Amino acid sequence: MKTDETGSTGATPHVPSTFTLGEPLLTCANLVIGYNDRPMLPPIDMVIRRGQFVAVVGRNGSGKSTWFKTLLGMIDPVSGTITRSHPEMRSAYVPQTSGIDSLLPLRARELTAWGRLRGWSFLWPFAKKADRDAVESALDTAGAKAIAARPYRELSEGQKQRTLLARLIATEADLVLLDEPTAAMDAVAERETMQRLCLLARQRGLGVVVVCHDLEVAAEHADVLLFVDRETSAFVVGDARTVFCHPAFRRQYGDEYCHRAPEGPHRGNDAR
Amino acid sequence: METTLAEPTQWQQFVAGFELFRDPLLCALLAGGVLGFLSVYVVLRRMVFVSAAVAQSAGLGVALAFYAGIHLGFEVEPVLGATALALVATMLLMMDPSRLRLTRESLLGLAYALSGGAAVLIGDRIAQESHDIQGILFGTAVLVTPEQLRTVIIASAVVMAIHLWWYRGITFASFDRIGALVQGLPVRLLDGVLMVSIGVMVGVCARALGALPVFAFSTLSAIAALMLDLRLPWTFLVATLAGIISGVGGYLFAYFFDFPVGGSQTVLAAALVGVAMALRFLFQLVQRAR
Repeated sequence: MKTDETGSTGATPHVPSTFTLGEPLLTCANLVIGYNDRPMLPPIDMVIRRGQFVAVVGRNGSGKSTWFKTLLGMIDPVSGTITRSHPEMRSAYVPQTSGIDSLLPLRARELTAWGRLRGWSFLWPFAKKADRDAVESALDTAGAKAIAARPYRELSEGQKQRTLLARLIATEADLVLLDEPTAAMDAVAERETMQRLCLLARQRGLGVVVVCHDLEVAAEHADVLLFVDRETSAFVVGDARTVFCHPAFRRQYGDEYCHRAPEGPHRGNDAR
Repeated sequence: METTLAEPTQWQQFVAGFELFRDPLLCALLAGGVLGFLSVYVVLRRMVFVSAAVAQSAGLGVALAFYAGIHLGFEVEPVLGATALALVATMLLMMDPSRLRLTRESLLGLAYALSGGAAVLIGDRIAQESHDIQGILFGTAVLVTPEQLRTVIIASAVVMAIHLWWYRGITFASFDRIGALVQGLPVRLLDGVLMVSIGVMVGVCARALGALPVFAFSTLSAIAALMLDLRLPWTFLVATLAGIISGVGGYLFAYFFDFPVGGSQTVLAAALVGVAMALRFLFQLVQRAR
C-alpha cells in the first residue's frame, strides 16, 4: 500500500528537502536475470519504493547475488527492464564490513569521503568544503564522529558498520543496496545495524535492499521479503508470512518459519 | 724538493665526475619515486607478481629490439620494445582469466616464465648484446643515456600528473571497485590508467635501470610504507620517498663500495622494509609503555 508522508530535512543539509514515502524508485518489469543469455529465474516484476526496507533471502547460489548485481548495473539482464523513477536517481552500494581490505590504511573519515565521489567528480582533485561538511554531518548522524580518525581495520564490527552507514548517508543516495551488512556481527551489533537501516529508510526516504541470511532478523525488520530460489525457479515477494509459507521456501527451510511468521506487513522495532 | 700528490678520495672523485653520475642518479630518483608511488597500488591490490611479470616482459622487449636490429635488419629502439612488451603483458594480465577457465596466477606464471625463457633464448642469438640483456634483467647498467633519461622524465611527469590529479578516483576505484561502479565512476578507465601507468613505467625504467630494481621499487617501497601504519595519502608519500632513497642510495652505495647497481638498489629497498619494521616495533613498545 502506498503511504503519502512528507519527510523533513532536519539539521542535515544534504537530505532531499521533500520526499514522498512509497513513491516508486525502481521498477523491475518482466526482468529475467542470468548469465550469458541463460535465464536463472522466472521473469521478475516488482517495485522498490521510497522508505521501503527490502530483505533478500535465499540459499547460497540461489540467484540473490545475480539479482543484486543486475540491479547495480554490473550484469545486463537477459530480458525485461529496470526503470528508475527519475534519471538523476542515485544508488549506493555498501559492501560487507570485511569487504574493505584489512591492509588498506584508511581512516573512517577517508572511507566516508568516498561516498561523496560520483561520476567524474574526482576530476576536481580536492574535496570541496560542502563535501567535507557533508562527510562530518554523515559521521555525526551515523554515530561515527568519535571514531572518524581511527584506522578502519582497527574498529570493532559495529563501529565498522557505523562507518559504512556514514558513507551511505554521505552518498545522498535514493536507493541503497547492502550485501550481508551484518555478516560477522554479534547479535547486538546486528540488531543495532538493522534498526539504523530502518531509521534511515523511513527518515530519509531511502529504498533499502539488504541481502540477509538471518531469516528471523529479516522478518523482524523488513517491510518486504524477497525469496529467491534457483532450484525451484521461485521468486516470491511479500510479507514474512507470504514468503515463509510459500511451498518453495518450505521446501528449502522447512515449516518452522511459517508457523512463527507474524501476520501481515511488519516492521518489528520502534525505530520507524 | 719532492712533492707527493695525495690520491683523491672516492668522494672527491665522485664530486669531480658528478656530471657523469648526474643522469643515472636523476633517473634512479625519478624511477624510484614514481614506481614507489605506484607500488602502493601494486601491493594493496595484490599485484606484486604482476609487476614481476611486466618487468620480465620489458626485458624480453629489449631483447627482441636488439634481435630485430641484428638479424632482421630494422632498428627498433630498445626502450620502445621494453614499453611495448610491458604494455602487452599488462593488457594480458588485465583480461578476465575466468573466461579461459584460468586463474590470474596462471596468467602471471605464463607471462613470467615465457618472458624470462624467451629473453634467455633470444639473448643466446645476440651474443654481442648479451651484456645489455644481463643489465636489463638484473640491473647492472651503471650509465643512462640521455635518450633513456628523457624518456624516464617524460613518462614520470605524465604518470605523476595524472595520478595526482585523479588520485581520489583511482584510489576509490582501486580499493572499492563495486562501490565506485555503483556511484558512476568510470572504473574501467581508471583501472586502465593505473595498469597502463604501471606498464609504461616498468617498461621505461626496466630499460634504463634493469628489471630487478624496478621490481624492488614497485613492491618493497609500499611494503616499507605500509609497515608504518600511516593514513593513505601519507603512505603514498612515504612509499615515494622509500623508492627515491632506494634508487639514489643504492646507486651511491654501489659506487662507493664497488657493487652492482641493481643489486644494491634492491637490497637497500629491502633494508628499508627492515628499518620500517623496526620503527613500527619501537612505536608499539612506546605505546605499550604509555
